[in-house]
Order: sequence, then structure tokens, then C-alpha cells
Amino acid sequence: MTTYHLRVNGRDHAVDTDPDTPLLYVLRNDLGLNGAKFGCGLGQCGACTVTLGGESVMSCLVPVSVVGERPVGTVEGLGTAQAPGALQQAFIAEQAAQCGYCIAGMMMRAQSLLEKNPKPSDAEIRKHMMPNLCRCGTHMRILRAVRRAADALPAKGAKA
Amino acid sequence: MDRATRTRTPKRRTRLIVLALIVVSALIGWIIMWRPAIDAQATLPAFDQASIARGQRLAAIGTCAACHTVDPSRPYAGGRALATPFGTVHSTNITPDARTGIGQWSEAAFTRAMREGVSRDGHLLYPAFPYDHYTHLAQDEIRSLYAYFMTRPALDAPAQKNDMTFPFGLRPLVAFWNILYLKRDPWQPSAGQSAEWNRGAYLSDNLAHCTACHTPRTRLGGTDFKRHLDGGEAEGWYVPALNEHNPSPIPWTREHLAEYLRTGIAPDHAVAGGPMQATVENLRLADPADVEAIATYIHSYLAKAPQRQTRAGMPGSLPVPAADDPDLARMQLGHAVYANSCARCHEVGREATSGAALPLQKAVALYDPDPRSLIHIVRDGISPPDGEPARWMPAFGAILSDDQTGALAAYLRRYGAGQPQWTHIEDAVKKARQP
Repeated sequence: MTTYHLRVNGRDHAVDTDPDTPLLYVLRNDLGLNGAKFGCGLGQCGACTVTLGGESVMSCLVPVSVVGERPVGTVEGLGTAQAPGALQQAFIAEQAAQCGYCIAGMMMRAQSLLEKNPKPSDAEIRKHMMPNLCRCGTHMRILRAVRRAADALPAKGAKA
Repeated sequence: MDRATRTRTPKRRTRLIVLALIVVSALIGWIIMWRPAIDAQATLPAFDQASIARGQRLAAIGTCAACHTVDPSRPYAGGRALATPFGTVHSTNITPDARTGIGQWSEAAFTRAMREGVSRDGHLLYPAFPYDHYTHLAQDEIRSLYAYFMTRPALDAPAQKNDMTFPFGLRPLVAFWNILYLKRDPWQPSAGQSAEWNRGAYLSDNLAHCTACHTPRTRLGGTDFKRHLDGGEAEGWYVPALNEHNPSPIPWTREHLAEYLRTGIAPDHAVAGGPMQATVENLRLADPADVEAIATYIHSYLAKAPQRQTRAGMPGSLPVPAADDPDLARMQLGHAVYANSCARCHEVGREATSGAALPLQKAVALYDPDPRSLIHIVRDGISPPDGEPARWMPAFGAILSDDQTGALAAYLRRYGAGQPQWTHIEDAVKKARQP
């Protein structure tokens, strides 16, 4: 057991665990952040996607020991049920969830795109979202939701 | 005064000779570098369906789309940036748009571009366009390709500006490169080889231009003709030798190679990655008999690789580093990354499911002469093109630090392949980070 200091959604946490514990398990079991889901455990589906240092990663493939000082972002950091964030509002507006299992991962993958590229083309959205799968088949709504969220963002560096 | 005239005369003569030399070399240079424009055609010719269909399959062998298509919804509109040691070249629009594409190109102009690397207006094309391979194509195949491209939807896509380092921005200089590397002698089949082998040789060296990446280039960027299929590079990846120096730890069979060329997947071999992915995406649309012929030809070289004792057949997961390993700390870090991030899918004994991946002791990238391809695969993963079915590997570039990636490469080289350690792993990791 080793103590790891993690910065998740802007808050610091200390966790005692084994170095090879996946970040996903630490988030869910130790920190009670159940937004990221366990899907395949093999980095094939994307249900566990979170942001790590601003990049989207599949948290089932990230041993806690490699996190270091890089900040972790989960869907809980985007907003709450009472006050959903911009991306969450867009997903609600497009009714992009069916069973909802993949949606937290979808949002976090989209979040890492919009942080870097607030005005992505449709092709860029498709390419970026490609690793994440939805078994209900709401991909078209998910793409529309990301488009909607991007359109609602002010352009990066736009003059006021 | 007489003396003064006499001393000036030889000087004047020298000047005249120098002047004459300048004029003559300028003339020779002009002859070497200047090409005339070919008249624009006002209307597109008509083509028969058989010729268009044949051209489509040949374009797949030529993997034209790999460079000339960026957005699948705008086929052949060009715009792909290709980084070369001489600067960045952009592929151009080869749809029949009259203004920005090749709509004004007659078959003669198209043929000249394919055979000599000269644009319709007479400017020289950069050999990033592999006309030094296409030069040997049979005229009826060039005609079919012309029929195919001239019947694609015309798209408006102006050429992008190339970013060449000095002096390579001067296109006429390509004429001198052509003297060295553009071999225009007609294609000769090899006596004593089967018709299929010869068809494969013709396709591999010319239209499919396998040798453009799999044969090393000289410092001037031309094919090193003496080292046929001896391995090269493409887009920062090591491109494996396909001759007796092929690094594969498991010998290729002709059948597996043909399967790999069509699908990117063959039993006991790594999936196609990097620039080879685009090749496979194209080859699966080609005439299967042509792909078989390529496999026959390439395999005749692969078969020259000597039988080697490798770890490819070693059962089980990769071992923990030996306690007396001289590079123990790095090896332990590499092993930790392997055990926690890679072994989940790559460990031996996993059932053949969608998550099953190749045991890494069989992965050719571990046996390459340098770690570039391995680092690219680890950082970028393997992802199928939009909407295409293919194998998938997640990207670890955002998960692993440079130290962890480098240590993983070093560990896999030693305990996966059991080969002498690569040098400059850390440099290769840093380079792979650059877009």
C-alpha cells in the first residue's frame, strides 16, 4: 500500500492503495465518484473516460501510480443535477442518452476536445469521439450534443 | 601602349570564354529544367464504364487516396501535408475541377505527370508524388486511371502552399534529381519467374510503390536502388525490410502475407499500423488477384530471411527484470507499465475475444532496428479510419509520461524480444511527441 495524492475536479485527495490499482477503481471505490463507469476494463469502450492533465484517457487503463501531479477531471466536475454545466445542458437538450451508461465518458471525451478546440468542425468531433462506444446507438444525438455545446461556447480569443 | 594592348588581350579572351560558358550552361540548364505547358482541354472526354471500373481498382493498388483524400466526404481533393527531410509538401486536388483540379488536363498531360513528374502547365512536381515509380506503368493502365479520376465529382480545392527548406523551394532543381533517380527505361519482366510473380513485381515496384517506403532512400531522397526492400521510413515510423533483413520474429507465409495485405490482420503477426493502415484500406478495394500477385512477389524476398531462434514462441507473460540487470530501475519501471497497462490485453493465454491482443514477444515492432514504430504505437494506439472495421488499440500518449514510455520500450526490447538494447530511446520518445 502506498499513499497517493490526487487532485480531482480541483480538490485534493489522499488515497492508500496499491500502485497498480486502476484510476477508475480509486475514483469509484475510494472517492465515491461514480460518474465514470466500468465497461470492458480493456480500454475498448470508453465508459470510464476521464480527463488527465486535460487529455481524455480511459481510466481503467491508468494505474494510479502514473497519475502524479496531473489533475483528474470527472463528469462530477462539469456540474450537478440541479445546475448542469454547458456540456451537460447540451446533452439534455439533444436527449443524447438512452441507457446513459456511456454518457459520462462521452462528456469527458468531448470536454477535452472543447477545452483545446472550442470551435471544432463536425469531422474533428467525429474523429475525437471515435474511441467511445454507445451500445444503444445514440451516437448521432451525442455528436449533435457536442456540436450544440461547441456552438454555445464563445470563440477562443474572440474580440468582445 | 602596344604592350598594354597585348596584356589586355588574354584577359579579354578569358572574359569571353567565361561569358560563353555561362551562356552555354544557362542554355543546358534551361533545357534540363524547362518543360512546356500542354494545352488545356476545354471539355472532359467520354469514358467507357469498363475503363473507369478498372481505373478504380488500379487507384486502390496505387493507394492514391492515402495521400490525395483527407476528408472521406471529399475524395481526391488533396490537402494532406507530408513532412519530408526537404520540407512539407501538400497533396493536390486530382478531381476534374477545371480551376483547382485536373479538369483541364488531357490524357497526354496526365501521362506526362505520371511518367515524368511534370504538371500540365510545365512546372515540375515534387517526387513526394511517386512518379519515379509510375513512370514504368503500361499506357493502358495510365489511361484507365485517367478515366477513373476524370469521372470523380469535381471539387473546388485550391492547392495549399508548400513549406520547403532552402533551396528545395525552387522546383526547377527537381530536374537534376530526375537525372539521378527517374529511370525511364521500360519495365522488363523477369525471365524464369511466373506470370503472377512478374505481375506482382510490376505492381509492387511501380503502381503500388511499396519500395517508396520499404526501400531506403539516399540523402537526396531518391531510391537507394542497391538496397531493394531493405527497410526505410515513413512519417516517423520505421518501415520494415521485406528482404532477408525482415525483422519479423515469425516467418511470413505467402498466405498470411496476402491476408495481411487485404485486411491488415494475419495470425501471429502484429496488425497493420501507421502508414501501412492506409495502404491496407486501399488494397482491400483492389483486384484480389493483383493483391495475391504482390504477396507472391514480396514473399519471394521475405523467404530469403534466415531461420532465427526468437522469443516469439515463448509461452506466458513477459518476465520480471532480473535482479542483476545493469539497468534495473528503468527495467522495473518498464515492467510496471507493461504489467499494469499492456498485459491487460496483451498477456498470453487470454481467450480469443475482442479484447485479445498479440503477445508482445510476437510483435515485430520489438524486433525493429530502432524503437520509432513501437513508440508511435504506444503513444497513438491503433485506430481504424472513420466508419471502417479494424483492430483497435487505445492510445497511451496521454496516460504515460515520456520516462514511462521510454522505460517500457527498453523493457520490451530486452525482456520481450531479447535483443540488444536500442540506443537513443529517449530521443525517439521526444520526437514522437512532436506533431
